Amino acid sequence: MSDRQPTAAGAELPKALASPERFGVVVRPPHYAWDGEHFASDHLVAIERDSVAGLPGRIEVVVEGDFVAVVADSLTAAQDAARNLRLEWRTASGKGHDGSPAMVAETARELANEASSRALPPHRHDYGWPSRLRWGDIPGWVVADCSDHCLTLWVQTLTPEALSQDLMALTGLPAERITLYGASPARASGLGRHCGDDAAMDAALMSRHLGYPVAVWLDAAYDRDRRALGQAQRITLNANVAKSGEITDYHYHQEHASGNIAAVGLWLCGKAPGRRIMTDDRALFSPYAFRKAHHAERRDAQGADPHSEGLAEIQQAFARESFLDEVARDTGQDPLALRLRHLDDARGTELISSVSRRARWGEPPSPTITPPDRLHGRGFAYAQLPDRHQRIPEGVRSAWIADVEVNRVTGEVALTRLVVGQDAGPEVDTSRLQQTLQARVLGSARPLLGHTPAFDEWGDGSESSGSHGGALMETTTPPETGAGSTSLPMPLHEADLSPGVAVIANALFDATGVRFRQPPFTASRVRRALQDPGNPLQGADNGGPARRSGRRWLKVAALTAVASTAAMAWPWKGAIAPIQRPAANLYSAETIERGRLVAAAGDCAACHTAEGGRENAGGRAFETPFGTLYSTNLTPDEGTGIGRWSYAAFERAMRHGIGRDGRHLYPAFPYTAFAKISDADMQALYAYLMAQPAVSAEAPANALSFPFNMRPLLAGWNALYHDPRPFEPSPTQSDLYNRGAYLAEGLGHCSACHTPRNAMGAERRGEHALAGAMVDGWEAPPLNQLSRSPIPWSEAALYDYLRHGGSSLHGVASGPMAPVVAGLGELPEYDVRALAHYVAVQMGAPAGDSDAISAEASALLAAARSGPSDMEEGERLFEGACAACHLDTGTPSFSSAKTSLALNTNLYSEHPDNVIQSILSGTHAEHVPGVGNMPSFADSFSDSQVATLTAYLRARFAPDQAPWQDIASRVATIRQYNNNTPSPHP
Amino acid sequence: MTQTLTLTVNRQAHELAVAPDTPLLNVLRNDLALNGPKYGCGLGECGACSVLVDGMMARACVLPVSAVVGHEILTLEGLVIEGRLDPVQRAFIEAQAAQCGYCLNGMIISIRALLNHTPRPSMAQLRAALEYNLCRCGTHMEILEAAELAVTINAGESLEAPHE
Ligand code: FES
Ligand code: FES
Repeated sequence: MSDRQPTAAGAELPKALASPERFGVVVRPPHYAWDGEHFASDHLVAIERDSVAGLPGRIEVVVEGDFVAVVADSLTAAQDAARNLRLEWRTASGKGHDGSPAMVAETARELANEASSRALPPHRHDYGWPSRLRWGDIPGWVVADCSDHCLTLWVQTLTPEALSQDLMALTGLPAERITLYGASPARASGLGRHCGDDAAMDAALMSRHLGYPVAVWLDAAYDRDRRALGQAQRITLNANVAKSGEITDYHYHQEHASGNIAAVGLWLCGKAPGRRIMTDDRALFSPYAFRKAHHAERRDAQGADPHSEGLAEIQQAFARESFLDEVARDTGQDPLALRLRHLDDARGTELISSVSRRARWGEPPSPTITPPDRLHGRGFAYAQLPDRHQRIPEGVRSAWIADVEVNRVTGEVALTRLVVGQDAGPEVDTSRLQQTLQARVLGSARPLLGHTPAFDEWGDGSESSGSHGGALMETTTPPETGAGSTSLPMPLHEADLSPGVAVIANALFDATGVRFRQPPFTASRVRRALQDPGNPLQGADNGGPARRSGRRWLKVAALTAVASTAAMAWPWKGAIAPIQRPAANLYSAETIERGRLVAAAGDCAACHTAEGGRENAGGRAFETPFGTLYSTNLTPDEGTGIGRWSYAAFERAMRHGIGRDGRHLYPAFPYTAFAKISDADMQALYAYLMAQPAVSAEAPANALSFPFNMRPLLAGWNALYHDPRPFEPSPTQSDLYNRGAYLAEGLGHCSACHTPRNAMGAERRGEHALAGAMVDGWEAPPLNQLSRSPIPWSEAALYDYLRHGGSSLHGVASGPMAPVVAGLGELPEYDVRALAHYVAVQMGAPAGDSDAISAEASALLAAARSGPSDMEEGERLFEGACAACHLDTGTPSFSSAKTSLALNTNLYSEHPDNVIQSILSGTHAEHVPGVGNMPSFADSFSDSQVATLTAYLRARFAPDQAPWQDIASRVATIRQYNNNTPSPHP
Repeated sequence: MTQTLTLTVNRQAHELAVAPDTPLLNVLRNDLALNGPKYGCGLGECGACSVLVDGMMARACVLPVSAVVGHEILTLEGLVIEGRLDPVQRAFIEAQAAQCGYCLNGMIISIRALLNHTPRPSMAQLRAALEYNLCRCGTHMEILEAAELAVTINAGESLEAPHE
């Protein structure tokens, strides 16, 4: 191992890195990928620099080979420029392959032939290792300063040596002229690189071209690089097993020396050093003795660096120990016994026996009652490591037994117990090792079971997830000095960890019946594998998880049956048998907490709580064109609520709109949107609702007109208008977008209000999606390209509106939107950002508000300073009732409207409804801190006064818009509607 | 639905069991017996109910009490510090600018809010600040005189001891 430490932790951070003034965003080619042998990407043909010339501020475009980036004065300016930059790419030509897969196939065939005469078929599995384990630990800045023949960087990296090598290849600078600040403690995981290295390379490329420091924002967007770089290592293992259970023939084939794949930027600019790969049959060390064994390895002709060697050891142990575990289970042997049978080494045998005794291997776990969302498993792995002088027989033996607990709903894995035996060297501090693995492998900065963003993941993984401490957290902004890592457990020698990956994979298999043949074992991967019966990741080629077959699996299947989904197979009608009400503590606290967030995002309580009633006890009235509907009781009361609903019944109602008793529910309940909810969220929601206090409350009978009171007709409605398929993330969109889409289209059910409905009450599709609609006597404005706000919305303004209840350039949330914003207050930051991003994309809105936007706003304010001269009556009403709060009197006021009416979206709408509604009902947002109230003027103004005032407001504050027609009749209709609907604010 | 809220009124914390959407004005007058702020229109139109929130003007009849939790509320009564009237109050007494006096709370609070922000306002600024404070007795000219006087007294005092 090299002890060279490129990290200058503790040293003073240069000012250039601490306060960068220029910000860069990369523009990657539409297609780029590492296919295991080569890097291929589209080629840049032309670049239209004019396309960003008109944007405000100084914008520079950096081009080197196929690497393209824009640099600007702020991140949002750079993002806008990146979005506007027009580029022409030529599709990559076909990529060449050499014979390696064929060779593997050959070995397999050979073995198959040999095996045909024997009892058992040959075993063959592939194990993979990703080029990047995850995009990073937490969102944060990466800053590079390349000047005066020196390169300094503020980075997040787990692999400083590999990064330095890439940077040397880029700049040609010697190692001592490259300084990395803020890098994680040396060899923080030894498990491979993350995209912090790619971001560092991007920043370095930009800074090298421009000669000044450039900051790049590292976040989940870099997950695209992780996906593009795919698999770095593939190890194929074949074995023949005799009837006796002995492994008679063992083939080990390793594709690469290690998985050290260069940073994306280096490939794109064409500076990645070529790899000369050669096949080598030198005997790779294996601790086991087989009757016939064959090892083949393809490796770097130049020889690999020590860092890669360490990684290779971990990869080898992972593949070998996973494979032996699979063989043992497939042949019905105890995994530990199989190892012992092939171990011709007294020291090793003794060690394994003692570890096994210590961990009570083979004894059934003590029968404790566990929540139904928990699975437990135990795994074993063994390794023999060379000593200091690379002498294997003298080396250290190391045997591990790990217990894991898997939350089936969230997919989170906790390492609950670890027994490690090591027969030489300093004694292993197991509790510290467990703590280290928990932090590194399972905690919030989990390198192995790390976070990859999934569309139904709550939070962005950057927050410490409660019980598992986030020991490796780094600050998001460049701090004064290097990373504060002093309180961490001592960094471990990489090779010490080599059985650590396999032992978790084996324990995971024992717990879940799913074989993970490639790390990381992220919560989302675990969850997906557990919930998808036709597992798309199945199969050896992609190294993804595969299910085990046989008896053991049946047991697990029976266990999962309550919670599994068979979305299309529900009987359309027919009651689902009632169950005993589940105990409130049946599900684990984490699952219930997740469910609480799901309920907040779905805002169940908004509809299922009557005025002044108990939360979720139902009874709220809904006026529909078809009659009056009442929401139902969602508390787990057995008589009047959902206490006797099984999960299957609950899920059917949520996805198909069919009650437990088999009756169709009316689509006022937005099951059309809820069908999109992921299984994990659905289960968590059920767990949460069942854990709430039961309230006995019978909902009033619906009062619908014929034929809408005929529930069976809804079956036809469903067939026509309901698509019960769960949400599918779009592979071409970012994770932020997919998360936003999932929330907006599913739980958030935005379209229930913002999409117009047809005569049958079904949401219209295509271009009508989110095109605006009327609801509860208010207009839900268009959220697509038809948005008609006085100045265009930006993503930042949408975020302010959704998070804080108002945007200074657009106004505040009111009407039915106020409780929605209040509900969003429960959601993590990332989710609200994702929603804003999704809506911004629908609207085609820019990321931030530019200077041009501010100028436009000032112009609108100036134009509205005085009203039209010919509307005296309106002017008088306005001056008397509105001006005190809606005009600026030069005195700072706490109670006045914060946004001028000249910027209010409602005044620019095609319909006067929201203006009329605001005057008649006022606006109320008690639950949104910082947003004020407007009183109702229903009792002080006649219909004709409201109409006059409305016309005046339009003329004064939206002077370039056509006057509204038919205001008077809208006023009468809305007043009538309000009188008939019990108002929450009398 | 009553809740227990803590309000800071005239430099004192009060724990109150109220419905969170009760207008602040009702709480001040009914629960805290502070009758300086008056009920005029209840719609934010007249200014009779004005109070200071964090030194800014606020119409207490349209503010739900939940919106001012965590903020500093000062009423007309709270302008008096250790028995000493605020310069604006003294100016109104000196100028004898009152008929029925119902609007004076709002006038005084509005001028105080303006002076907190603009210590030397012009006559035009004074007029703008009082534009939406209604006076049913037609005392406008006297009130404007008092306002000008308030500016002078206030400026003199801030030379000796800056006001807040
Ligand atoms: S009573 Fe508050 S403004 Fe009139
Ligand atoms: S003095 Fe009577 S209302 Fe102004």
